[in-house]
Amino acid sequence: MDPFFYLIIFAGVVAGASTGLLGVYIVGMRIPFIGICISHAAMAGTMYAGLLGLNLNLGAIVASVAVSMSLAAIRPEKSRLETNVGLAILFSLMLGLTFLALGLVHGSRAKLLNLLWGSLLFVQRESALLISIMALVLIVFTVLFHKELKVLLFSRTIAAATGVHETFVYCLFLALCGVIISVNLKIIGGLMIYSLITNPAAAAYQVCRGHKSVVLTATLFGMLSAAMGFLTSFYLDLPTGACIVIVSTIIFGIASLYRCLFRKGE
Amino acid sequence: MKNIRLYLSRTQVKRGGRLVLDIDEMDIPGGTFAGVIGVNGAGKTTFLKVCCGLLQPDRGSVQFGDCDLTALNAWRKTNLRKRLGYIPQAAEYNADLPFTLREVVAMGRAGVRPLGARLTPNDDELIDFWIEKLGLSARRNQTFRSLSGGEQQKALIARAMSQEPAVLLVDEPGANLDFHWKHQITDIIDRLYQQTRITIILVSHETNLLPAGCRRIILLHEGKVLADDTAENVFASDALESAYQCRLETVDVGQRKYIYARSKES
Repeated sequence: MDPFFYLIIFAGVVAGASTGLLGVYIVGMRIPFIGICISHAAMAGTMYAGLLGLNLNLGAIVASVAVSMSLAAIRPEKSRLETNVGLAILFSLMLGLTFLALGLVHGSRAKLLNLLWGSLLFVQRESALLISIMALVLIVFTVLFHKELKVLLFSRTIAAATGVHETFVYCLFLALCGVIISVNLKIIGGLMIYSLITNPAAAAYQVCRGHKSVVLTATLFGMLSAAMGFLTSFYLDLPTGACIVIVSTIIFGIASLYRCLFRKGE
Repeated sequence: MKNIRLYLSRTQVKRGGRLVLDIDEMDIPGGTFAGVIGVNGAGKTTFLKVCCGLLQPDRGSVQFGDCDLTALNAWRKTNLRKRLGYIPQAAEYNADLPFTLREVVAMGRAGVRPLGARLTPNDDELIDFWIEKLGLSARRNQTFRSLSGGEQQKALIARAMSQEPAVLLVDEPGANLDFHWKHQITDIIDRLYQQTRITIILVSHETNLLPAGCRRIILLHEGKVLADDTAENVFASDALESAYQCRLETVDVGQRKYIYARSKES
């Protein structure tokens, strides 16, 4: 294998690890749709930054963080709005803005549409470095706020009623979600991010007992999905993104089967 | 810190232009065991959420110890809740995640320790003490989701108690439990009160579930206090019949009073 591919595998595995870890909280809070929602916000942000002649990365990050933070405004005990419904409304707005921008862009749209599936094969050193740094930030965050995040997953009402600074940790988490999804978007694309957030974490929730084991397993499953997906696509000469998505789904299938056969009562 | 007095004055909560809670004055001195009863929609849960500051009343004040909850910002209110135990209804927590029983009980210490700090050996001791005390030692490494409804309720009691609360708020502890468990949970709460003498406010629409130690009964109806007196007086008064809108009969069984609806014919 050409050494050029090592960088691709490295970037893929880092992206898989950080989306897998992020997924533990996103799936646990039952808001997997946030992946699609934020990636469209990032796309819209990129396009409008491009139209206005601003920095593209910055545009993506600002739009993603703004959208993810606006979820914090939906308070469970105050509004009659379910978080998932709020997400769907935000998503439709982002989709509208994206298509509006597509209509406004003159010339080649291929580069923009790339954001849908990402371009792992054309990864650059700088973006690999950026996603590695953000992955480290995410790990520090989850280690530091380990005990708060657990209560948050179990019950936001209990967290709020018993002195856990849940709003603070939740807002920080949403902001981090926005940044991580938007920096990974260029590499793995909006559609793949959705499955890399959902599948490894959902698989870990099937087979694990205890929160720590869920966190480690989901991260590992994310890395495995990326590495095995890439290798499959490399040796069989198939599209990379599609292979990664399918591998991650197969991992979930195996996890479900394992649970049915060996761990039914847990 | 042991005795915290709750004092509500001219407290009103409006929802959709309708008053759902309207309390002129209520004094709950430290060490009180009060049962809050009333029909569905009488404002019981609203009352509980106002008491712990989860719900900001539209008018009036809620005095928690020396502080007025309604005048505090979110951060300081959260700090105040470190000594407030809360056992919510089943709909308010996520029982599907593979947390172990010990992890759920350990959540009680999450709010007590500062943001981002680890739990200490002293916390571990307290957590194990309460698991032992509630007879859950054999189940400590089992997942919370695999426990029966009664055992889950016990685990939530252990979680709240590991917080070493000065005030314990309990919302419908018997809901969804069978006869055996309902009474076991009631007895546990009663014993906890005898041993610790902390303030307990127990909300229940089933009057038969109030423990013997619960000397004060607050009867809510359409958000207003219809009666607030000793158990004997409230159960003997007409207020109960007018709130439940049926003829009632009281039967003494041991230390407890049982209330039955009399059929129309008799």
